Amino acid sequence: MTASNHHQPHLSSDDPRIMLDGEIGQFESVPPYPPRTEREAEFYSLRDGEMFLNMGPQHPSTHGVLRVVLKINGERVVDLDPVLGYLHRGVEKLCENSDYHHIISQVDPLEYVSSLFTEWAPVMAFEKLLDVTVPRRAEYIRVLTGELLRVSSHALYQGWMALDLGGLAPILYSFIERDEIVEMLAAITGQRMLFNYFRIGGVNGDLNHEFMSRLGDWMSRALKEHETNIGLLNENEIFVRRMRGIGRVDRDMALKMAVTGPNIRAAGVPFDVRRAHPYSVYPELDFNIPVRGSNGGGDSLDRYLLRLDEVRESLKIIDQCLHNMPDGPIMARLPRLLRPRPGRAWAAVEAPRGLYGTYAISDGTDQPFRMKIHDPSFVNMQLVGQLMKNNLIADTMAVMASLDPVMGGIDK
Amino acid sequence: MTTIPGMGLVRGMGLTLTRFFQPKATIKWPEEQADVAPKFRGRLQLLYDEYGTLKCETCFQCAQACPIECIDMGGVDTRGRFHVHWGPPETYGERREESAVRRSGRPVADTAFTHFEGIDLLALDVILDAHDHDPREMLAILEETQAAYGYLPVAALKHISRTTGAWYAQIYGTASYYRHLRFEPPAAAGVPEAGQAQIAAEAAFTTRLDAALGIGGQVR
Amino acid sequence: MTTVSRSWGNMTTTGKVVVPLLLLVLVLGPIATVAIGSWIGPWIVGLASANLPIVRFLVAVTGVLLFSIPTAFIIIYMELKVIAFMNLRVGPDRVGPAGAAHSVVAGLKVLSKEDFSPNAADRTVFTWAPVLVFLTSVMTFLILPFGPDLVGMKLNIGVLYLFSIGGMTVVGLLLAGWSSFNKYSLLGGLRAAAQVVSYEIPLTLSVVGLILLAGTMNVYTLGLQQSGWFTNWYVFRQPLGALIFFIASIAEANRTPFDLTEADSEIVAGFATEYSGMRFGFLFFAEYVNVFLVSALITTFFFGAWNAPVDINAILGFFNIAPITISFELGTLGIALLIAIAVLPLILTLALAAPFYFGKTQRPAWQALVIGFILFNLVGIGILGLIAYVNVPWIAGITWFFLKAFAFVFVFVWMRGTFPRVRIDQLMGFAWKWLLPAALLNLFVTAAAIIVVKSL
Repeated sequence: MTASNHHQPHLSSDDPRIMLDGEIGQFESVPPYPPRTEREAEFYSLRDGEMFLNMGPQHPSTHGVLRVVLKINGERVVDLDPVLGYLHRGVEKLCENSDYHHIISQVDPLEYVSSLFTEWAPVMAFEKLLDVTVPRRAEYIRVLTGELLRVSSHALYQGWMALDLGGLAPILYSFIERDEIVEMLAAITGQRMLFNYFRIGGVNGDLNHEFMSRLGDWMSRALKEHETNIGLLNENEIFVRRMRGIGRVDRDMALKMAVTGPNIRAAGVPFDVRRAHPYSVYPELDFNIPVRGSNGGGDSLDRYLLRLDEVRESLKIIDQCLHNMPDGPIMARLPRLLRPRPGRAWAAVEAPRGLYGTYAISDGTDQPFRMKIHDPSFVNMQLVGQLMKNNLIADTMAVMASLDPVMGGIDK
Repeated sequence: MTTIPGMGLVRGMGLTLTRFFQPKATIKWPEEQADVAPKFRGRLQLLYDEYGTLKCETCFQCAQACPIECIDMGGVDTRGRFHVHWGPPETYGERREESAVRRSGRPVADTAFTHFEGIDLLALDVILDAHDHDPREMLAILEETQAAYGYLPVAALKHISRTTGAWYAQIYGTASYYRHLRFEPPAAAGVPEAGQAQIAAEAAFTTRLDAALGIGGQVR
Repeated sequence: MTTVSRSWGNMTTTGKVVVPLLLLVLVLGPIATVAIGSWIGPWIVGLASANLPIVRFLVAVTGVLLFSIPTAFIIIYMELKVIAFMNLRVGPDRVGPAGAAHSVVAGLKVLSKEDFSPNAADRTVFTWAPVLVFLTSVMTFLILPFGPDLVGMKLNIGVLYLFSIGGMTVVGLLLAGWSSFNKYSLLGGLRAAAQVVSYEIPLTLSVVGLILLAGTMNVYTLGLQQSGWFTNWYVFRQPLGALIFFIASIAEANRTPFDLTEADSEIVAGFATEYSGMRFGFLFFAEYVNVFLVSALITTFFFGAWNAPVDINAILGFFNIAPITISFELGTLGIALLIAIAVLPLILTLALAAPFYFGKTQRPAWQALVIGFILFNLVGIGILGLIAYVNVPWIAGITWFFLKAFAFVFVFVWMRGTFPRVRIDQLMGFAWKWLLPAALLNLFVTAAAIIVVKSL
């Protein structure tokens, strides 16, 4: 790939930083590099009346730093090209150079909204490599905190879904809800956001009085408050008309694009990792898997309402965990320096956005040889290109928001 | 959905109106402070035990264990011989050298605490007096210091820091931002400037390089 | 004073300019005052009294411009605080008491920003587009009746004037969007143009029914016709027209849910993306003045302009009580007046300060006295205001006008805090498929009703 076939506007001086008055305004209609793939060639060729609109990495509502190049014809989006990588931190490489214990804090910022799940999958993979049995109390605590975080993540989703559509109130209500949950989690984990709580073989700290009192206080009013906040939007005609019929995902498309999580359950496919590949203590717990859009697929409104159903299920699970919490140690006995036998392990959990998986390869040393992270948002974002054909610009944001992406996971 | 079109909107407005009168969730810092759980590890403070001594023993375990290498610490060794420093290299002037020995955690004679040459501070005092020891006129002070000494010696910067109250790091940062301020004495006479001969030599080299590599013309 | 107390050598350049200027002013001040008082002043007054209409015009124009800025400040503050309260947070509360000076400081900040325009933007148009937008808002104040006899001009074709001015807003927005040389601004400007133009038509048509009923386009006369009881208000005779006017005016003012021209989650600030500093200040203020304006129009057309909802004198007349007047001759009090002036403030201050000093909170003495004094001032203003309200008709008019207008401003702000925004095709569909037929229906029904009633 040579860089010398640049097709630049003619500049009177050789210094590319100098642009003379006469040349101001002569901008390229296509990017100046030769297209490297067919898709690029198709995307970067403009027909009559079309123009590129760059919703750049700095934008009030692309959930983080995501760059989306839209090809628009008036207000209608003809094509869409997301450009990722603005938040790439090289986490997988960092994990290759970290001890097994350090990895837990390295992978936290991947899905920073629900970071316990990003710790859970690697920890489960390492436990498989090390043949560690996690004590039952630790498993129950993991499920309890995980489901709490799921509720918090879905509450936040409702908020920024509304924010992307223009409503200013729901996001603040969501943050008030989330703040309560996050303070609760800070009481046991020690942090409000990037928890660094799970350990290989258990969890870091036991439930304490502060956590239990806050949890008890919250549980008594959680569902009602959540439903009141959602009620602001559920019945709002403007909101419903913005979301109904937009971004319709049917069963075939969802399965073809390997979408997971609430997005596929809103398309009619009842796939949930907690039931399909059970892990931890989920087989002992009694909960349903909400599904919407069973006939013909689901649109944004179905995805939105599904997450409300999931919050109810999560609250049921939390209740059961509290009632059935066994006594015992919270961490298995492990040496400080971990050297698992060479091998490979895969573990997946049901994160609020979908299937979050880790594939760990160990070579016998105290650092993993490779840690591949399968992030649900990365896969879900591929839907946007399919769903956006011939919709309006305003719907781009609505569709992206309804898929609930978190850029930390997409860019790793 | 509601039966009467528009009732959803009205009900939404009703909810916000009730929220208008509810107590607010804001914690008005600094008058009120949030209740922080005892286990919260986000507080940046060293802890004391019940006798009043600092609990931290500078054992470097936390800095060594930190996966993102954000802990930097230093202390004097137990016999008071030298200063031990552990941590990622900082951007301040005294500690800019990248040293594998330092990163290993073994004791290193720290150049930060090496003795730097003293200078005659009289000229510097005159300059500082003229500016009323005002740290807001730092750039002017630094320019005049460079005019007086030929460069900005470490001793001068430390003296300025002591008398104006600005941190050494701030002064260093200000000085390093400007191109006309330098930290080393100017080259002694006799070293030729990068003149035409050097430019021509560079151009000749790049031409030969391009020819050898088989690419013609400027590559951007 | 620190500037002055430093010696000359240590003074900053600003100080070196300001201090001599101050001295100059101190010296020349008395001389200038004497000169103005004895020679220049009377000459100006003579000139003015000879050209009274021009003076009146200048005063009116200055008044209007000076009025619009504080109104914008108040509405900005209201918006920030009201939306914050609805979001269960506090809003600005540091600058000034309860954050009241926040919008003033924001205005000053906007003034102090760097003045630049994008490289490729059309500089002249870029500069003058916000002026055009602001101008159209301000020109509408000419015919707005603030009270009985408190109107800039009793224009016979007032309503027609209003809507022709409204059409000019489109030009301003389009110019702003186009001249920025930015695709986001372009989209925002085009959306704004489409929105404003589409909603002009139902706006105008909804008022035509009102004009048919009232028989006049004179906005002042419309206000006069709604005097008396609140059942005289046109909202009861034209409910559909009022609703259509309300919805269309939300779109005209570019407010949520129709604020896609500045949708900041899609096209960052729309047509105002490239604007900063005072140019943005113009656009920003123009929007808030617009909000006040459409609220004022709604109250003028449909909710009784400056008239109180109940006519107290009519009620009292029903019970054969004389109308309320407060009048007394201060002179009859004689020496008691002097004693009252000397003693009453003191007594009242102490009386009002007492609960704060002896009560539960136990404030220090000076704090209690200050609070007492402030309360006494408020009580005094309240009493004087009451007297003014009863005796002087236009004060009552202004009070009610502002109460009603700000009630509608509150409703606008309330809607902003609650609703998401509609999409452009839904917006246009709503205007052309629902509002326009509804306005036409309103018009036909009104006309038919008039004919039927007249023929009876």
